[in-house]
Amino acid sequence: MTRRVPILAAAIGLIGLALALACGTGEAEKPPGAEAELRDERLLVFAVAYPLQYFAERIGGDAVVVRFPIPAGIDPAQWSPSAEIVAEYQAADLVLLNGGGYAQWLKRASLPRRRLVDTSAGFPERRLRESGGVEHAHGPEGEHAHAGVAPMTWIDPELAIAQARAITDALIAVRPSAAERFESGFAALERDLRALEHSFAVAAQELGGAPLFFSHPVYPYFIRRYGLNARSLHWEPHEVPTEAMWTDFRAALVEHPARWMLWEAPPEAASEALLESLGVRSRVFDPCAQPSESGDYLERMRRNVEEFETLGVNQPAVSGVQ
Amino acid sequence: MPVETMVQLSEIEFRYPVGGFALRIPLLEVARGESVAVIGPSGSGKTTLLQLIAGISLPASGTVTTNGTAVNLLDDAARREFRIQNLGLVFQEFELLEYLSVLDNVLLPYRIHPRLTLDSGVRARALALAECVGVSSKLDRKARKLSQGEKQRAAVCRALIAEPRLLLADEPTGNLDPDNKQRVLDILFEQASDSHSTLIVVTHDRDLLDRFERVIDVKEFHADRGKS
Amino acid sequence: MTDILFLAWRYLAHYRVKTAILVTSIALIVFLPVGLNVLVGQSAEQLTARAEATPLLVGAKGSPLELVLSSLYFESDVPDDIPWAELEAIADSGLAQPIPLDARFRARAHPIVGTSLEYFDFRGLRLAEGRRMAVVGECMLGARAAADLAVGVGDAVLSSPESLFDLAGVYPLRMRVVGVFAASHTPDDRVVFVDVKTSWIIQGLGHGHQDLAAAGAAAAVLKQEGNLITANASVVQYNEITPENIDSFHFHGDLGEYPLTGVIAVPRDEKSGVLLMGRFERPEVAAQIVRPATVMTELLDTVFTVRAYVVAAIGFAGVGTLATAALVFLLSLRLREREIETIVKIGGSPMRVAAILVSEIVVVLVLGAAFAGVLAVLASRYGSEAIRLWITS
Repeated sequence: MTRRVPILAAAIGLIGLALALACGTGEAEKPPGAEAELRDERLLVFAVAYPLQYFAERIGGDAVVVRFPIPAGIDPAQWSPSAEIVAEYQAADLVLLNGGGYAQWLKRASLPRRRLVDTSAGFPERRLRESGGVEHAHGPEGEHAHAGVAPMTWIDPELAIAQARAITDALIAVRPSAAERFESGFAALERDLRALEHSFAVAAQELGGAPLFFSHPVYPYFIRRYGLNARSLHWEPHEVPTEAMWTDFRAALVEHPARWMLWEAPPEAASEALLESLGVRSRVFDPCAQPSESGDYLERMRRNVEEFETLGVNQPAVSGVQ
Repeated sequence: MPVETMVQLSEIEFRYPVGGFALRIPLLEVARGESVAVIGPSGSGKTTLLQLIAGISLPASGTVTTNGTAVNLLDDAARREFRIQNLGLVFQEFELLEYLSVLDNVLLPYRIHPRLTLDSGVRARALALAECVGVSSKLDRKARKLSQGEKQRAAVCRALIAEPRLLLADEPTGNLDPDNKQRVLDILFEQASDSHSTLIVVTHDRDLLDRFERVIDVKEFHADRGKS
Repeated sequence: MTDILFLAWRYLAHYRVKTAILVTSIALIVFLPVGLNVLVGQSAEQLTARAEATPLLVGAKGSPLELVLSSLYFESDVPDDIPWAELEAIADSGLAQPIPLDARFRARAHPIVGTSLEYFDFRGLRLAEGRRMAVVGECMLGARAAADLAVGVGDAVLSSPESLFDLAGVYPLRMRVVGVFAASHTPDDRVVFVDVKTSWIIQGLGHGHQDLAAAGAAAAVLKQEGNLITANASVVQYNEITPENIDSFHFHGDLGEYPLTGVIAVPRDEKSGVLLMGRFERPEVAAQIVRPATVMTELLDTVFTVRAYVVAAIGFAGVGTLATAALVFLLSLRLREREIETIVKIGGSPMRVAAILVSEIVVVLVLGAAFAGVLAVLASRYGSEAIRLWITS
């Protein structure tokens, strides 16, 4: 009798075990999104261009933290953030885009669509096509352009105001309770931008239709806004142009007898001297694309105004073309 | 000391269902403690005689009194009860249950009858019997795996386990070699004398007859053919 | 009683092969309908849960079932494409949040699903390890995919070519694993998730290659007309996106034309959902919108009908099995006549013999039922997993 009992016992045990296993299912699930509540009360905003960061800081004040994590000395147009920095962008409440293909890295990044704000979405018709992009063709799709629309909308104070407005609306949508704060921040910013606009307009008036050169084609919105008679080159402030570039420049100067060259940054002394010898004075017009120790967007734009005002007032004597 | 009667068959008439063959026993008495051999040719009714005594077969007329009970007058249930309490049966083909161990075969009467209680005393007796007949080392084996001699000895143990007053054995040595024959008979006689039991053994083995106190030839009880 | 059970048990234990066969047959015949019900019920539950968790689904016109199977369970054939512009249209409508799906490639047996970060929040997928995908060329794995492919954060997964003789030039792309999700016990566990842009790169819609304007690429340039450079086949295309070459990856043509296999639409509220569905009712719309729950309910109704027939068939088989078992038992009684006689001769009553025999039957039935119970419990615990593995293998 006793010897066969273990088999029965084992069979019963097995059934019991199976039942116990069946009852033990379903681990507790943590509700998602709980960590968001724990974060700072302030909105975390990331930007892809320095002026957008500046606008957001002015509008948001201490209700927002705005980041544009570009390393110093990198051209934002060429910048491609590492995956780790993209991950920081993912954590933002809002990501401010300049639109029109500015910051090419966005096309290769995974960002939460709902938190992206295209600050230039409101004025697609005022967008300008960029010149000089390289197109190429290969494979069955045929040719395609890598050239995009011109990026630096914020040099035109009117467009800057439109972008600031878009940022304000986006902030209010995320944090309606702070709408008043955002609106008053925007109002103050708009006043400053309007003042800039006015100063530029006055200076442009004074300049009349005098021909100008820009060292780089990053100013099309500014040129359009004030109806400037300007041509753009592809010169780098920190490189002295080659002999061929000088030859081309002398030829261009015949058709377009400008007395001013506006640079993105202070040019090499040699470039400046050579220009001077051709009767062309150098001025700096900072496009403000990246943060700088020389000041914030407004300070730098005011300096641009000051530089720009000198063009009309202080017309250099025509020394003739050699 | 008066001779006590263990088995008494009187005025028995038994007919087989076919063939018109019949047994007629005017009177047969076996005393308590007596050892009797039943002989006769094959088919002569030796087994029938044992079955009549055991109450397995019933006579057409007459009385079978075993240990003071008129067995053939009892109902089925009472006869089974009677058998289990009074008789030890050793069958010609041993009739062990193949799927049980030797020990479980020996204890079988206690498992199939509600009146018998299987306690430690019974188990001890089973072990003692097994020791006595020489199968104590095979108690855990399945009956199937035993030799003929071992099977017969196990069957004897089973017959003796309930301490019967009357031991009925149907050719218990039929399939055994001479050594085993003597051994099994030794055991039967020993147990019978130890417990002062009556022993009735059917055999056709004439060499063994001198060990019995009495020999009954069933031919004596044959009724004339066609007479009935 | 114990003696009866003892004798019955000894008999069954002695003829253990016969007993095992009887117990197994009975177990199976009991288990089959029960197990089938459990499995179908569970699968239905899982399918329904997934469908109900996906409010609306937009895809190319065609079989709604194919669209649902492809977009929710990553099974079935790849449905026709819908253009990215459809997703933009849903987003612009303001009625629903659209989540793109491009489920057309595989990494070995695992579906590669191109989507956006919103998908992970929508499905409530939690990272077990690593971070979310940040740039093209990165992928995140479901728990089961990570286990099956034996890769983790820092390893790479190779997309499988669409077919061995794929002349269209869908090259395998090596994708870096940056995150692994905790098990969600849904089809998401098997998936290799990538950004939809990465999926487009696998399709060849976006690519990276050496700079054709650079000096070293002269050999690959077929002709140059102004800004237009035509390259020959020797241009070096990258099959892995690295921090060094990522800037060369770009997309050709109009983004609005880029293909998706489906779009999950999460309506702002019930009314928005109805409005959105209304937009797709116009015949000129090339896309369809479906409620996955409705589509799955229709499918499951069919499954349940089939199940009813199968259960009926098993019922007939069960009757046959029991008849056979009864025959086996009766035949064994013939063989045991002698044994039964012995028990009666020794003093056992016919009742007792009957009790022993009935006990044998009862023990066999109880063991068979218990075995079936164990199988049913195992089926309910592991069955759906097993079915998934079987379906997907």
